[in-house]
Amino acid sequence: MTREPRSVCPVCLAPIPARHETVTSETGGHETLLVKECQDHGPFRTVVWRGPPDLAGWSRPKIPSQPRKPTTPVNRGCPLDCGLCAAHRQHTCTAVLDVTLRCDLGCPVCFASSGAQALPDPKPTDIGFLLDRVSEASGFCNIQLSGGEPTMRDDLPGLIRLARNKGFPFIQLNTNGVRIGSEPGYAATLAEAGLDSVFLQFDGLDDTVYASLRGRPLLERKLAAVKALAQSGIGVVLVPTVVPGVNDHALGAIIRFASANSPAVRGVHFQPVSYFGRFPHTPGDEARITLPEVMRLLEAQTHGVLRVQDFLAPGCEHSHCSFHANYLVTTDGGLTRLSAKEACCASPGPPLPRPASEGADKAKAFVKRQWASPDRELPMAGPGDDLDRFIARTAAHTLAVSAMAFQDCWTLDLERLKGCCIHAVSPDGRLIPFCAYNLTSQDGTTLYRGKCHGPATP
Amino acid sequence: MSVIRVPEADAAGWRCAACDEPLVMRPVELEYLDALFNVELPTCPQCNRVFISEELALGKMHQVEQLLEDK
Repeated sequence: MTREPRSVCPVCLAPIPARHETVTSETGGHETLLVKECQDHGPFRTVVWRGPPDLAGWSRPKIPSQPRKPTTPVNRGCPLDCGLCAAHRQHTCTAVLDVTLRCDLGCPVCFASSGAQALPDPKPTDIGFLLDRVSEASGFCNIQLSGGEPTMRDDLPGLIRLARNKGFPFIQLNTNGVRIGSEPGYAATLAEAGLDSVFLQFDGLDDTVYASLRGRPLLERKLAAVKALAQSGIGVVLVPTVVPGVNDHALGAIIRFASANSPAVRGVHFQPVSYFGRFPHTPGDEARITLPEVMRLLEAQTHGVLRVQDFLAPGCEHSHCSFHANYLVTTDGGLTRLSAKEACCASPGPPLPRPASEGADKAKAFVKRQWASPDRELPMAGPGDDLDRFIARTAAHTLAVSAMAFQDCWTLDLERLKGCCIHAVSPDGRLIPFCAYNLTSQDGTTLYRGKCHGPATP
Repeated sequence: MSVIRVPEADAAGWRCAACDEPLVMRPVELEYLDALFNVELPTCPQCNRVFISEELALGKMHQVEQLLEDK
């Protein structure tokens, strides 16, 4: 697939033309850079893809689907009209709602720049208003309560109930797990409130990783959190932020931990580090790790149990934003690939474009089914024939492995942004693609975050 | 691989429309998205066509398909 991207200037965030430049790397693979030049601030070159697999072949074309109720007109052009605007090309799969900006950690890299000092939390009535805006704009999509650290709020169970009572079918909590791993009974309280799934910050199985990324050793708390969530019947998705030289050696160990803790652990969702919000300094290319590198490291560190060829481009978000594969955790703890590249009746040649809305519907249903605890969503194992047992085993013991590459002011590709399905809910009730909402210039100036306090006008 | 027997598959009373032969239970390989299942199904002994009942097609086979399909 070839296309002409646009981006923003990392200094002033003005939209500017950009192009992909693919070169042969020292290792013989193809490395793709996003190259752009601002009239005022000069040229920028940033690596976005180190194949194989190569960028050009990583494609799952989509027929754009407009938001069913665009909130903002197309006026100044992407990414300055977010709301969603009428030119957006994908529906909301997950709406990310910040319930606080406070946090009990102060990680050196944080997309939300969260910490001890923060604006007052939104009131439950404000949260109710925002949930209503989400359902008006995007229907009953999946909800992720985020922040900041949402468990800083003592009324979090009430907010989960609120979202449930509004009719949202799948509620996930984005958390560092510190409170869940520290406070007996807290996970059970969240489960009783109706929480389906936890997106658990989980960077490795070694405290040196946590000391580096999070400022203190946290492994004991993380393991306690996984145990408490498993006991409470809340699905766990392990979410490692992957940073070169810090934890890129630990991906295989995380997969093995996830398999050993199936079915409570439903998936691992790797996030290559992006530099928005708070970060120590302007990153060089050596500070970046791209999706194909994560694929290759997974193959190497699992000794071929996971393979690069297992991984698929997404049907929901833009092809260049993620990869995924599903595995059956066998009774002896092994992994067998479930998802496959081609159906038996697939036509030869490149894949034909599919409606983006179809991918969004499938992804919403998959997330709801796979990332929740199997006890709630899936048939129980029981007596029957071998096919029954296969169905029961697979339904309960599937491990979803995926990765999503967020974009920052150096890597932002507006084509990708237009295809985004992960939408932040701004305090004034707009839906803004996650990477636009959290975008900051190289000096930390935001485009949207902290600047959306206007009236809630449709 | 052991042969899977499912109660939804029963050859009793069925004949092949083309050959007019009574169907017999035989192991059949069902392949979908790289997954292979060896299932005993009613089969015509002459033309080897396989009969899959509506109950099996819309039940367990559909469930397996959903579990194997990509999102």
